[in-house]
Amino acid sequence: MTKTTLLGTAALVLLGFGGIASAADPIRIGVVTPLSGTYAPIGQQVRWGLELATKEVNAAGGILGRQVELLFEDEEANPAVATQKAEKLFQVNKVDFLTGTVNSGSTLAVGQLAERNGRLIATTVSFSDAITTDKCSPNVFRVNARAGQQSAALAEWLAKDKPKAKVYYLGPDYEMGRSTVAAFKQAAEKTGAQSTGEVFAPLGSKDYSQYFGQLRAARPSVLYTSTAGNDTVRLLTQMSEYGLLRNLTIVGASGTVTAQNIGAIGKAADGFVTGVGYSAELATPENKAFVAAFRKAYDTAPDLYGADSYGLIGFFKAAVEKAGSTDTDPLRKAMEGLSWSTPQGTKTMRAGDHQAIQDMYAVRIAADGGGNRFDVVGTVPGDAAIGPDQCTRF
Amino acid sequence: MADLIDYLQFVLAPQALNGLSLGVAVVLMALGLTIIFGLLDVINMAHGEFYAMGAFLALTLAGLGVGFWALLVLVPLLMLPIGWLVERWLIARVFHSRDRHILTLLLTFGLGMIMEDLLKLVYGPNTQRPENPIEGGTEILGMFLPNYRLFLIGFGLALIAAVWVVVFRTGLGAMVRAAAFDKDMASSLGVPVRRVYAGTFAFGVALAGLSGVLLAPIYSVFPTMGRDFILMAFTVVIVGGMGSIQGAVIAGLLLTQVQALSSLYISPVWSDPLVFGIMVLVLMVRPQGLFGRLGHA
Amino acid sequence: MPEATLRTLSDPGRTGPASRLSRLAPVHWLALAFLAAALGFAAVAWATGNGFYLRLATEALIFAGLAMSVDLLLGYTGLLSLGQALYFGLGAYVSALVLRDVAPSFWLAMAAALLAGGVAGLIGGVIANRVKGVYFALITFGLAQVAAKSVYNTRALGASDGLIGIPQISIGFGPFSLDTADPLSFFLLVLGLTVAAYAGLAYLMDAPFGRTLAAIRANEKRVPFLGFNAWRYKLAVYVLAACVAALAGALYPMLRGFVSPELMFFETSGNAVITVIVGGVGTLVGPVVGSLLLTALRSVVGSWTEHHLIVVGVIFMLSVIFLRKGLVGALLARLGRRTGQGRATP
Repeated sequence: MTKTTLLGTAALVLLGFGGIASAADPIRIGVVTPLSGTYAPIGQQVRWGLELATKEVNAAGGILGRQVELLFEDEEANPAVATQKAEKLFQVNKVDFLTGTVNSGSTLAVGQLAERNGRLIATTVSFSDAITTDKCSPNVFRVNARAGQQSAALAEWLAKDKPKAKVYYLGPDYEMGRSTVAAFKQAAEKTGAQSTGEVFAPLGSKDYSQYFGQLRAARPSVLYTSTAGNDTVRLLTQMSEYGLLRNLTIVGASGTVTAQNIGAIGKAADGFVTGVGYSAELATPENKAFVAAFRKAYDTAPDLYGADSYGLIGFFKAAVEKAGSTDTDPLRKAMEGLSWSTPQGTKTMRAGDHQAIQDMYAVRIAADGGGNRFDVVGTVPGDAAIGPDQCTRF
Repeated sequence: MADLIDYLQFVLAPQALNGLSLGVAVVLMALGLTIIFGLLDVINMAHGEFYAMGAFLALTLAGLGVGFWALLVLVPLLMLPIGWLVERWLIARVFHSRDRHILTLLLTFGLGMIMEDLLKLVYGPNTQRPENPIEGGTEILGMFLPNYRLFLIGFGLALIAAVWVVVFRTGLGAMVRAAAFDKDMASSLGVPVRRVYAGTFAFGVALAGLSGVLLAPIYSVFPTMGRDFILMAFTVVIVGGMGSIQGAVIAGLLLTQVQALSSLYISPVWSDPLVFGIMVLVLMVRPQGLFGRLGHA
Repeated sequence: MPEATLRTLSDPGRTGPASRLSRLAPVHWLALAFLAAALGFAAVAWATGNGFYLRLATEALIFAGLAMSVDLLLGYTGLLSLGQALYFGLGAYVSALVLRDVAPSFWLAMAAALLAGGVAGLIGGVIANRVKGVYFALITFGLAQVAAKSVYNTRALGASDGLIGIPQISIGFGPFSLDTADPLSFFLLVLGLTVAAYAGLAYLMDAPFGRTLAAIRANEKRVPFLGFNAWRYKLAVYVLAACVAALAGALYPMLRGFVSPELMFFETSGNAVITVIVGGVGTLVGPVVGSLLLTALRSVVGSWTEHHLIVVGVIFMLSVIFLRKGLVGALLARLGRRTGQGRATP
C-alpha cells in the first residue's frame, strides 16, 4: 500500500469521525468564520457572541427540547476556503444551519453553496448592500445592518449636529471602501452637507501623512473615512500626530473603530462618530444584562459583531419554535417577517429581501483616558433607516 | 511666481519631507536586507517578520516598564542571538548547495510564515500601539512636522551613517567585506568566515528589529505588519543594487520621494505598481542595480 | 560511431516503443500507482454517499495542476515562480465569465482559458525572462500582485466579492455527457485531465525539449555553446506553464460555482510552491501527491486549530532542509533508480 493510500485512508477516517460521532440529537449550527488572518478579531467576537448565546439557550432547555451545538471552522477570510469548509459542515457534519462568514465574498459564495445543498445561512457581519439587494438569495438572511442603514443614521446625525458641514472623504481604495464613501456622500449631500474633496489610499497604507496636505488645503470641518482595522489606527494616530484632529470632527463607517482597534488608537478616537446598529452603552435592560454577561465571560466589551452574533441565536430559536422544525422550507417561511428581541431591541426580518430592520444609532466614542465608551448620540427608527426593498430574485 | 512659491512651500516641500521620514524607515529595513544578501547571498524573506518581532518585543518590554530609549538598545541586543541561531541552525544547512538562492528564499519564506503565526499565537490578532515617546510638533518654514518624525529622520540618518562607518572604516567591516568578496581567500587570511556569516545575519536581523521599535509608535503593531514593507524593501534593495549600502540608501530615499510626490498627481493606488514598474525597468536595463554588490563595488 | 556515442549518452535501454514501456522510469510507475489509489479512493468516497470528499479531492487535483505548472518551471528549468497564481486566477475568471455570460460550454471555457493563459504567459514571460534566479522570483511575485490588485478593484469583475452564479454545466463527449454537479463524474473527469496533463508533460520533459530545459537548469551559460537559444526555451516553458495553470484554474468555477480575487493572491502562489517542495520538485507526480496530502492535512488540522500555518510551515521547512526532493523524491530514492534513466542531479 503506498504512502498515499495510507494517508488518504487515514484522512478519510479522521474526517469521517467528525460526522459519525454525533450522539443524542442536538441541533447543529455550523460557523465558518475567520479565525486566522486579518479578520481574526472579528471572527473572535462572532465566536464569543454565538457561544454566549448558545450557552444561555442550552441552560434554559435548548430549542424544542434539543441542545444546540456549534461547530467552528476557519475560513481564513478566503471565499475558496469558506466554501470548502461550509461544504464539509453541510455534508459531513450535517449541520442544520450555518453562519459566521465575515467578508461579503465569502457570504455570497457560501450562500450559493447553501442553495445547492438546500440549507439556510445567515450573516451577522457582512454589510455589503449587494447581499440583500442585487445579489440576494432565498437561502441567505442578514441579521446585521447593511451599509445603507449605517449611512442613513450617520447622515441624519450630521445634518442635525453639523448642518451644511464641509466634508472631506478619505477611504481605502477598493470596491467596498469606495462604495461606502459614495453611499454616505449621497446621503450626506441630500441633507445639505458640502463635499470638499476625496482621496482614496491603497488598502493597507502605512503612512497617511502624504494625504494631509490635500486634506488641509480643503479646509473641511468633517472628515468621513471608511478605513478599518489597522488602517484606521494609522490614519487617526497620524492625524493626531500632525495636529489635524484639533478642529476636525471625524466620522466614519461602522467598522472603522471597533473593539479590535480602539485600544491602539487611544485618545485619537475621542469624538469619532459613526452610524451603527449597536453600542455597548445602549441603556436597555437586555443590553445591560448582555454586556455584563459578555464581560464576565470574555473580559472585554462586546462590539457590533459580538452583539449581532448573539442576536442571531435568538433569531434562529424564535424561527425554529415558530416553524416547529429545522427543515429548510418551513424554517425559511418562519424566518420571513419574524420579529425577535435582541440586546438592541426588537428586530424584524423583512420578508422581501431577508434584511433585518432595526433602529440605527449615531454613536460617539469617548476615549478620554478613563476607558472607552460608545455613547449613543442619535437614533433613527428602523423603518426610516432601512431603505427600499431592492431584491428581485424572490 | 508667488503661486509657485506657495506651491513649493505648502504642497511640495511638506510632501517631500514626509517622504523623507518614510524613506528613512524604508532604508533602515532595506539596509539589513541588503547586508544579508550582499554578504551571505541569502534572500531573507522573513525580514518583515523580524521587523515585527522587534516591535512586539518592544511592546512586551515596555509593558514591563522599560523606557523607550532603553528599548532602542535592548531590543536589537536581544535580536542578535536570535539572528545568530537562525543562521547557524537553518541557513547554514542549505548554504552549501548549488541552489542556495532558491533554497534560502524558500526556507526563510517558511520561517516567515511560522513566525507570523507564532506572533499571532502569543500576542493575539488585535492591533496594539506603544505610546509616542516624543509628543508635539514643530513649525519649520511654515510646515508642521511632528517631533517624533524629526527624531526619526535624525536618528535614522545617524544610524545609517554608523552602519556605513562600521562596514567601511573598521576592521570588523573589513573582515565582512573580505568574506563577501572571496570567502576562501578571506578564510585563509584568518577571517573566521562562519562566525562572520552568523554575525552579519544577526546584525541584519537586529537592524530590522530596531526599525520595528522605531516605527511602532507611528505605524502600530500587529502580527501581519511584516508584509507592510517587504515589497518596498526588496524593491529598494534591487534598485540600489543587492549588497550595496549606498545603493540602498539612495534608492530608498529616491523611491519614497517618487512615491510621495507621485501621489499628488496620480491616484495613490498606482504608487505600488509604479514602484514595481521601476524595479522591473531597472532589472531589465541594469540588473545589478545602481551600485552593484558589497565587496564588489 | 557517432550514433553509438549518442546512444550511450542518452538512455541505453530505449530503442523501440515496446521496450520503452517496459523500461518506464520509476516515477511513472509511482504515477500509475497513484492513479490506482485515486480510483480506489473515488469508489470508497462514492460509497459514503456525500460528495464532500470527492469535491475536496477534485479541488486538490485542480490546485495540483497549478502546482505542476510551478514544478515545470522550478523542477525542470530551475526558475522559481512566485506568481503562478496569476495565470490560475486568469483562467478561472475567463472560464467563469464564459460559462456565465457567453455559453455554458466546457470546451469553450477551456479554450478561452487556454488562449488567455497563452497570451498572458507570453507577456509575462517576456518581462520576467530577462532575469534569472531571485530577480525572476521577485518579478513574477510583483506581476501577480499588480494583476491581483487590478482585479480586486474592478467592479465589472465583481471586485473584492468576486463572481458568483456560475452555473453547473453538462459536458458533452460525443454520445456521453457528464454533469459538473455530480461529484463522482466531475472528479473522474478532473482526474482524467490531470493524468493526461501529467502524461503529456512527462513525455515532453523526456523529449529533447525537456532535455534542453535540464541543460538550462544545470548550467545556462553553456547552453548556447550547444547550439540552443536558452531564452526561447525559457519563454516556451513559461508559456506552457502559464497555459497549464490557466487550464487548471478554468476548472475551479465549474467545481465551486464562483471565483474570487483570492485565487490570484500570493497565498495561492505560495501554497503551490510549498506543495511542490513537499511533494517532490522535478517529478510532476510529486506536486499532485503533495497537493492531495496538503489539502487533506489543512482540512484536518484546520478543524483542530487555527494555527495550521505553523504546522504547514514546519513541514515545509523540514522538506527544504532534509527532504530536498520532497516526499516523492525520497520514495524514489528508496526504490532505487535504474542506471542511465535518472536525470542529472545537482
